[in-house]
Amino acid sequence: MSAADGGAPRVALVIGAGSVKCAAALGLWRVLKREGIDIDLVVGCSGGSIYAGVMALGLGVEECEEMTHGLWRREITERADWRSMLGALFPKLFGFNGRLGMVHDAPLLKALSTPFGGRDFAETKIPLHVVATDLANGEQVTLSEGSILNAIRASVAIPYVWQPWKVGERWLLDGCLSAPLPVDVAMREGADLILAMGFESPYPRRIRSGTRYAFQINSIYTNNLLRANYAFHNLAHHAEIIPVLPEFGENIGLFDTHKFPYVIEQGERAMEAQLPYLKQLLATA
Amino acid sequence: MSEASSSEAPCARPRVGVVIGSGGLKCAASIGLWRVLRRENIDVDLFVGCSGGSIYAARMALGFEPDEIERDAGELWDAGLPKRFHYPTLIRTLLPWFFRRRRRMGLLNDSPFLDAVGRAVRHSTFEQLKTPLFIMATDLETGERVPISEGSITEAVRASSAIPIWFRPWVIGGRLLVDGGVADPMPVSVAIREGCDIIIAMGFEQPRYDQLGTLLGAAGQVTSISMNNLLRATFAFYNVAHHAEIIPIIPEFDRRIGLGDTHLIHYIVERGERAAEAEVPYLRRLLAARTAAVPAAGETR
Amino acid sequence: MEIHVERHTTVTVVRIAGSVDGLTADTLLAALQAEVDGGHVRLVGDLSAVDYTSSAGLRALLATVKQARQKGGDFRLAGAVPQVSRVLEMSGFTSILKMYEEVEVALASFGS
Repeated sequence: MSAADGGAPRVALVIGAGSVKCAAALGLWRVLKREGIDIDLVVGCSGGSIYAGVMALGLGVEECEEMTHGLWRREITERADWRSMLGALFPKLFGFNGRLGMVHDAPLLKALSTPFGGRDFAETKIPLHVVATDLANGEQVTLSEGSILNAIRASVAIPYVWQPWKVGERWLLDGCLSAPLPVDVAMREGADLILAMGFESPYPRRIRSGTRYAFQINSIYTNNLLRANYAFHNLAHHAEIIPVLPEFGENIGLFDTHKFPYVIEQGERAMEAQLPYLKQLLATA
Repeated sequence: MSEASSSEAPCARPRVGVVIGSGGLKCAASIGLWRVLRRENIDVDLFVGCSGGSIYAARMALGFEPDEIERDAGELWDAGLPKRFHYPTLIRTLLPWFFRRRRRMGLLNDSPFLDAVGRAVRHSTFEQLKTPLFIMATDLETGERVPISEGSITEAVRASSAIPIWFRPWVIGGRLLVDGGVADPMPVSVAIREGCDIIIAMGFEQPRYDQLGTLLGAAGQVTSISMNNLLRATFAFYNVAHHAEIIPIIPEFDRRIGLGDTHLIHYIVERGERAAEAEVPYLRRLLAARTAAVPAAGETR
Repeated sequence: MEIHVERHTTVTVVRIAGSVDGLTADTLLAALQAEVDGGHVRLVGDLSAVDYTSSAGLRALLATVKQARQKGGDFRLAGAVPQVSRVLEMSGFTSILKMYEEVEVALASFGS
């Protein structure tokens, strides 16, 4: 196992969609730092792009924890986007541009600007790629240049929750609709060894309302898409993919910031489980 | 799957599977495919149906001729989309905060559909079939694929056709089942697992919503994106995972086909026939080549 | 990684122990290929002693499935432990090949 230039294998980290659970990537990172293993490339989708972003910018693990803590606060979803909702329900009266978001994104943008405000892809210490979905044709869109804030805002644009975001000429949506765990990007960028941290959407235990039902169906699509993509890329390429799949014994809700230490610890555990094989591979390169 | 041991005669004919994926009314194109297969005398060893495709896969497995299936197709669809909404459920669905402890939500009244399906499959069971049939559904609570191959065919078709929101989920064996297309829109997986060599797969992409000016349009766009990406991703995987050949048959339509456009059925069937005909030469070559080349189990090259 | 082959009347059981990964895949593939080439195309892979599997390892398993099927047989898996099962599921294996909890059931699935 060696890179094209005969050097050490290019190790890539792919952090898939999973909202607050993506913090587990910090646990993974802690373990790698402890072992002196460097990551050469990082790819993020949806919530994963936030952690991919701070890691690529070269922030320390503790700094990342602090910065990203602030993101998962109730405030980001408390302000409803009445204009958008009214427009969707009464298009003739209010005009509807096809881009629905029930929650106003101003608090989200403010929270994202703390770590990413004014930062550009060109500034990152290691290459960063953020994945979103094209609203017009459903295709996967990989963002690798320009404003990091814009890219992440697009990648986390959960359908119906936040409005799609325009980057360049395209309106973009949550990356999880096309590539919840984008290992293909890492492969295309020449990685030989891919650490793929993926999270399956939790299934609500009881489906008690229409909206829960709709989210359930969405979760099923996302999980199945994640697996199908993973299954395909697993077979179709030569690269070695090491899945790092944290297990959560309990439901981690969107705002359960008190569970952060637990989430990060599960990320550490999941990485520890893969460490022996990873070290073997790196040693034989 | 060849059951031959080294002492028995080889079973050389490749196993042919037909998979009809989800696609609403467009699935009637599979009748055109069936017509071509019957005309060319191509034997099918396994049928798999999902969502809108499940009723056709079932009727093929039951041995109905293409003309009969086409004749009844319109009637079945009209029964499936009644003019009346199920108002109590409609209200409950739209007002989630009044909603208590109900697992089964659907906007449409499904009893005419259920009756029509029952008649169409002559109330048969899977066990009565000569050719194996699998119908794909999805477990709503776990998201798992549930390929059904036993019990009542009517119930299986009903479960597989339980398009979210429109139809209520259906309970079979204690599991709450919905549209198979949410987990595996064109379930070539089953045909692979059951040992088919040549898999003829008919699938359909969801339409793109160019008119995003309404809530339904915007929501439809998100669903279309999800379903199409899932279809492509699963198909890509099946292609690299399968040991032999998968022949995708994707009919082309030059007009938009909505769920209620039953007057277009003949057109849809004809499109399916055209698409299938185009594959016949290759299919024939494959069948001929594999018949010659497949050694029996126990023989060495 | 160790491989142990056991012949039954019409089915061969291949007991695999250890890690099925990029470093052991070639050995595994060679062993399984030898079975298929020798005409033993009805195979059950006993994974109960496999503690780890990776991408490359899965490719080796699937290559064998394909070869066996091309010759009219099949390669079915049994006894995977939870962490291996999880990877097999995520990699789509459970949808395209037959997996069982017990080796005996896998053997019986081939019929008489």
